[in-house]
Amino acid sequence: MNLIRRYCLSLCMLTLGIAMSVAAHAQAAAPAAAPAAAPPPSAAELKDTAAKAPTTADLAKGDPGGSLTGTVGDVPVSDTKTGLTLGDTASQVGQNKVAINFVWTLVTGFLVMFMQAGFAMVEAGLCRVKNANHTYMMNFFVYGCGLLAYWLIGFAIQMGGAAGNSNLGGLQPLNAEHSTTIFGKTWNLWGQTGMFLSGHTYDVGVMVLFLFQMVFMDTALTIVTGACAERWKFLTFAVSSVLMGAFTYPLFGNWAWGTGWLSQLGSNVGLGKGYCDFAGSGVVHAVGGLTALAVALIVGPRIGKYNRDGSPNAIIGHDISAVLIGCFILAFGWFGFNPGSTLGASANGNLRIGSIAVNTMLAGCTGTFGAILYMWALKGKPDASMSGNGLLAGLVAITAPSGFVNTVGAAIIGLVAGVLVCLSCAFVESVMKVDDPVGAISVHGTNGLWGVLSVGLFADGTSNYGGSWNGVTGSVTGLFYGDASQLAAQLVGISTLLGFVFTFSFLLNLVLEFFIGHRVSAETEIAGLDIPEMGQLGYPEFVFREEAGNFTEVPAAAVA
Amino acid sequence: MAANTGQGRGFVTFLVGFTVTCAGLYLSNKLLLGVGLIVVLVSLFQFLKLKPLEGKTAQGPSPIVMKLFGAFLAALGWGITLFGMHLTGGTTGRIVLALVGIGVSLFGMIYVLPAAFNKNAIWKA
Repeated sequence: MNLIRRYCLSLCMLTLGIAMSVAAHAQAAAPAAAPAAAPPPSAAELKDTAAKAPTTADLAKGDPGGSLTGTVGDVPVSDTKTGLTLGDTASQVGQNKVAINFVWTLVTGFLVMFMQAGFAMVEAGLCRVKNANHTYMMNFFVYGCGLLAYWLIGFAIQMGGAAGNSNLGGLQPLNAEHSTTIFGKTWNLWGQTGMFLSGHTYDVGVMVLFLFQMVFMDTALTIVTGACAERWKFLTFAVSSVLMGAFTYPLFGNWAWGTGWLSQLGSNVGLGKGYCDFAGSGVVHAVGGLTALAVALIVGPRIGKYNRDGSPNAIIGHDISAVLIGCFILAFGWFGFNPGSTLGASANGNLRIGSIAVNTMLAGCTGTFGAILYMWALKGKPDASMSGNGLLAGLVAITAPSGFVNTVGAAIIGLVAGVLVCLSCAFVESVMKVDDPVGAISVHGTNGLWGVLSVGLFADGTSNYGGSWNGVTGSVTGLFYGDASQLAAQLVGISTLLGFVFTFSFLLNLVLEFFIGHRVSAETEIAGLDIPEMGQLGYPEFVFREEAGNFTEVPAAAVA
Repeated sequence: MAANTGQGRGFVTFLVGFTVTCAGLYLSNKLLLGVGLIVVLVSLFQFLKLKPLEGKTAQGPSPIVMKLFGAFLAALGWGITLFGMHLTGGTTGRIVLALVGIGVSLFGMIYVLPAAFNKNAIWKA
């Protein structure tokens, strides 16, 4: 039935398209004449068009102008005896739409995958040279740990009930979601199909979705490695990453993107269009940032980070060029992150990708301005590492609202993020006394939450992704454009991130602390993790500079 | 002692156990699921056995009750938000209750938990 319906729909669309183009052509030729209703193309006309297709002999001469390549002759014919039919043409139109969306989603996914390189450079550059190999290796291996866990079970939990996305051909095999009924409403909790990508989920559309979602998940995982760098035991990092890729990330991912209960807040209790997170300020960045906070609390500050009076010492990274180049790689990858989250470029309002890309660009720019101007005006220097963090903060914050806001909103969101990251870094370091060598908690956690909140404030109600979002008709509209209930939905999302994701990550890692221990020994930490943990220096021919006493003395309690 | 073969073997055991557990879930096979979980547990106890050999860390003891209380507060805030959603039908009421919930969670996360971990922090010694 579905096939017939889709066939009929495609046929109608094709007829309408041809009729409109004929009408437009008639108007151009004779503007004074009233537009006449164009008759549907007959089979004879179609055959006539097919007959005019360039022959093999024509094509053999070469096509330098490109006018002979890609014509009616390239439309596959289902029956050579009857020749080209309307059905063949309609099928090709449908396949072209899905093909465009497949290619778009895959290529943007490849861009997001490349962000791993950016993360590796930023994190390693902000660490001391004696830990370079270890930091790079965490960023390298997190890709494998996350991918394996996500293939085994994570994807099924997150997207196992996400059927219905027409951009990627329907994704009908992903049709099982575990749900429960509370106060008379059905709430979806986790997906149940897609483990090992086997059985019915051995499907072209599902594979495209898996690749795209997998690289997003890996981005969240790699955030934690930055906050815990220079003292995290490699073994514990690996086990923790597997568990995060298998459970923590996919659960929240399901609730927000996999038809889970947060996305149902609109349809079930009338909160706007449900929790809206276009590309993952909450799902990816806040989940990563809050997990980073949970693990950084457990693993504790590096030796020498704090003085006896609690004042922090700056521990300078070894390579600012790697940091800034890494930031640019990340900004480049973000053009996959945000525009790619339409999961298509054709149909369903997906042409908004242009707006999404510009919003992304702008927020990164104003984020950089926010951080540079804040540091310059208040601390006297346009600090390079904080400038990089300002760029990333702007990008993180615009990730959730990128598909729903206009350029002015995007610029404001980025600017706020740039200042916020400076304030948050100071708060985390000096008030909470949590040691975060790269500022990951502030960049991704704080600004991830700000991004989620900003959807509820700045969404301008002009986006139209197929006429509805999360099953609620209409466009996502924030408080400043007249819908306070959307803000309520976003606050429920923020509360879930703080109350569930953080607590779950904290308890999970507390169990690992009991069994494995998160932190390397004091001797290993002072020597640098490269040799004891990885067996090789990151830069074997470098001459190490002598560090200050407070970074090289083994604390008495660690040897007692 | 830092990274070593014992850790490597333990990690292999963990991955095998985790994979078998997932296979048990996928195939709805209780035997496979049970075997997988046991192998995961074995790997955890392998890690536990290695832990004391790895040297002292630069961490002071921190009160577990306070840590759990901080985590409880973070979760309680979420509970307040969820309950508030059903307590009132008005948007303003829901926003206020969500903000209260967020406040409680943040209190647990950025005040109670850091205080627990920093109580006997090594840099204070």
